[in-house]
Amino acid sequence: MAEPLVVFERVVKRFGEFAAVKDLDLEINEGEFLAIMGPSGCGKTTTLRMLAGLEQPSDGEIRLAGRRMNDVKPSERDTPMVWQTLALFPFLNVVKNVEFGLKMRGLDAPARNAKAMEWLKRLEIAEFAERDIAQLSGGQRQRVALARALVTEPQILLLDEPLSALDAHLVIRMQGVLTRLQRELGITFVYVTHSQSEAFAMADRVVIMAKGEVEQVGVPRAIYREPVNRFVAEFVGRNNILTGEVTGCDAGTVTVQSEVGPCIAPLPDNRSVAVGDRLDLVVSADVVTVSATAIEMDNVVACSLISEEFVGSVVTLFLETDGGAELKAQLQQRDIENLDTRSGTRLFLSWQRSSVHVLPQ
Amino acid sequence: MAADPRVRINWFAATWRLPMLVWQFLFFVVPLLFLVYLSFWLVRNYRMVPGFDTVNWVKMFAKGYFWDAYYFTFGMALLATVVTSCLAFPCAYALSFKLSETARRWAIFFLIIPFFTSYLVRIYAWQVLLAENGVINAALAVIGAGPYALLNTKLGTVIGYLTLTLPLVVILQTLSLASIDRNLIEAAHNLGCGRLRTVFTVIVPLAKVGLIIGAVFCFILSFGDFVSPYYLGGSKPPTLSILIIDTTKSGQQWPRAAVVAVTMIATLLLVAFAAVSAAYRKRA
Repeated sequence: MAEPLVVFERVVKRFGEFAAVKDLDLEINEGEFLAIMGPSGCGKTTTLRMLAGLEQPSDGEIRLAGRRMNDVKPSERDTPMVWQTLALFPFLNVVKNVEFGLKMRGLDAPARNAKAMEWLKRLEIAEFAERDIAQLSGGQRQRVALARALVTEPQILLLDEPLSALDAHLVIRMQGVLTRLQRELGITFVYVTHSQSEAFAMADRVVIMAKGEVEQVGVPRAIYREPVNRFVAEFVGRNNILTGEVTGCDAGTVTVQSEVGPCIAPLPDNRSVAVGDRLDLVVSADVVTVSATAIEMDNVVACSLISEEFVGSVVTLFLETDGGAELKAQLQQRDIENLDTRSGTRLFLSWQRSSVHVLPQ
Repeated sequence: MAADPRVRINWFAATWRLPMLVWQFLFFVVPLLFLVYLSFWLVRNYRMVPGFDTVNWVKMFAKGYFWDAYYFTFGMALLATVVTSCLAFPCAYALSFKLSETARRWAIFFLIIPFFTSYLVRIYAWQVLLAENGVINAALAVIGAGPYALLNTKLGTVIGYLTLTLPLVVILQTLSLASIDRNLIEAAHNLGCGRLRTVFTVIVPLAKVGLIIGAVFCFILSFGDFVSPYYLGGSKPPTLSILIIDTTKSGQQWPRAAVVAVTMIATLLLVAFAAVSAAYRKRA
């Protein structure tokens, strides 16, 4: 069986004493859209830069299409990258920027101009071909950077937070452009970001990194619903994480005495749990029901409302139990229109045991 | 009647601008105008007479030795500019890209040290080194070579020009190379541009302004220099600066010396203007 397109094998990158990437094992398949996500300093950009050859691994091996890449010069790899700052050449106009990679490959002037124009058309910026980079808007520059990277028709495209400098509405548009391009070209995209919405919206698989190590790899849905540890659960945000001792254990359910009171959760598969064990439970903010009166559910907690955060159709309520534990609930705006949302209001948060995810670690 | 707000004077901005305007007017515009005026005066019986006659210009421009000196000076300054820029670039490149921030600061500090001693003193030091029985020839004699004529040659003049301009050009080039966005260099590598090719296709265009400004400084300082062609070049052939001295000495011809001086200033203004507009010109 053929090896995946990219393989990181026990890769370590040290900067002096500091290990930016520790023992990284990662496989990237041909034609997939992989997002690497994590807080700043987690090693995600270093990982991408090692793949481009801009950093040398201190240890381990990186293979691209079966070839060991550790000592291959960046200029001899075919791993074009889109920078966060875009890194467009200010002394060249738009079409000359796009032609750059072709010129380096020794294509003659008419051939590279034709190819560059083809890509400018594809990205709908052909009319700006003769402009200076400084005369373009952020979104247009983004497209130039993409065209410049893709014009040589590589097997893989590396993207280092390319959308972080754009306005929110442009980000959504460019996400559409990127996913469409990736599908049409069928090549591998490796996309580094700290933005969960970008990663989840575009990627086939997401890698969550922290402190130089991979915490979880999986499809966006799995990362969101089934985080493997507390770090991932906290990082993907808007999760209520409850911790406590197991007080009861029977027929597929456990009862955990958590900071919000007893919580009934499903007993995780292939794991033995005994009374007295400590468990972390994840109750996503979007799986809870909020009501003015107690309703019939596996878990019901009485709270008082502290504040609400309204971001359009979705509302997040921040609540506090009588014991002082904080809980979040994320709801559609229309679902709470009949609720009293003044601070201090008594509300009940309820959820079924099936909505609870028990952290395996 | 209320004052029109559009013509209200911004006193704060004016306060900042005023010293520069006064300074430039008193010490640049006024002397320059006087120099131009002087070039139209006459000399009768070794005495200058204010007047307005083009005779100095016509006579000076008709002299073969004036044009010889002009082309020689221009050529030597151009040579010094090319040599200095080419010598300075690898040095500035190493300082910008191969040293840490701290090491670079020290290196720039050391480049400033030559300015601690007067240029004239440094030129005298070169005389000791370059003389026929000087240090260099003595060293060469040990291995049986020489003696070579080093002093009072064009080589001597160029060495003098380098003494004057090289540290400054290295500093100017380093500052412009060090401010290049490293992402652009990485982007070039990433797009298949090898290291040496990146120097010429990316780094030089990005540092263009600094490189040209450095070259302009070198040209201006060399073109107008009097010390090196006089003490190291032996005044043979004379440069324009030496021609000015000679002209004033021979028969009090200050107006004709003014013609030479005005021609030099006009040349430098043209060169500087052309170079600066080339530096800031948009892509071709």
